[in-house]
Amino acid sequence: MNTAKQAKAMDQDALAELSVRLKKTGKGDMSLNEVMGLAELMTASLQPLLRRIDTTLQRELRGILTRISSLREEISKVQADDIYSNRIPEMGRELSAVVNATENATNDIMEAAETMMNADRADPEKFARVVDTQVMAIFEACSFQDITGQRVTKVVQTVEVIEGRIDVLCQMLEINDISSNSDARTPAEKKRNARLQHGPAHAGEGNNQADIDAMF
Amino acid sequence: MAVDQTMRVLVVDDYNTMIRIIRNLLKQLGFENVDDASDGTQALKKIEQNEYGLVISDWNMEPMTGYELLREVRARDQTARLPFIMVTAESKTENVIAAKKAGVNNYIVKPFNAETLRGKIDAVFGA
Repeated sequence: MNTAKQAKAMDQDALAELSVRLKKTGKGDMSLNEVMGLAELMTASLQPLLRRIDTTLQRELRGILTRISSLREEISKVQADDIYSNRIPEMGRELSAVVNATENATNDIMEAAETMMNADRADPEKFARVVDTQVMAIFEACSFQDITGQRVTKVVQTVEVIEGRIDVLCQMLEINDISSNSDARTPAEKKRNARLQHGPAHAGEGNNQADIDAMF
Repeated sequence: MAVDQTMRVLVVDDYNTMIRIIRNLLKQLGFENVDDASDGTQALKKIEQNEYGLVISDWNMEPMTGYELLREVRARDQTARLPFIMVTAESKTENVIAAKKAGVNNYIVKPFNAETLRGKIDAVFGA
């Protein structure tokens, strides 16, 4: 007979004995010994239940411990420190460099265009030389695209790494529906939205000039 | 009716490059008398101090946006009818409708070319 069956049989025996004792006493009073006996019986009858609760509790606690330990392991894989201290600042530096490079290139190109626009056209040969020089300057300035392209690619790769780690975090915390969380916009974003500052639209989104003209 | 090319034009944008582009395009179109401001607040001061024939403004600027500038301009008796063209990357319908309700005369979406700018200036002045 296994332990559970034994416990059940004990319960039944104890209850039967209790029933007999109560019948014996009839309506009347019970002696202290009988009360003590009943208390012992009741305590004994609770033992199997308490043992079951204890086992379940232990199992649950063991499960929680295992889960915490696995979460700690997974969280360490996310390397939040690396994201915060290295990757995000590096993205900021790369994007600032892109902004600076495009600004410098645009200025160089505009400088060249303005020089051509303002050049004296009275002497065609001299004008042609100015145009040749400035066109070369424009070609040189356009080389910025190669470098900025590489910088933007690095940023995209970093965003992908961060996205992957957030995905791992969501999986281990069993967050399946991120969209159901409360509004995650920063106060600055909320302010920009309220002032209808959405920024440039992607291709195919927003209105083109013809659409806007039709509204006027 | 030809557009008066001697009128004073105020270009409002927080990017120097954009101001430079619009200045050059206006120059190509024959407008030489061009001022600039880097946001709505600065533009409003210039509008109070000078007489402009046209304002060409970006939307996204801090602290005062082009939309807020437009509303301020329309709220004042002296400038309520000052021609105002919005030149912006904001191309959502809600932006265009809001600007139109606020009294913008025309709306150009970035990026744009000289022909578009010329066309909108002509349209504003009925040329």
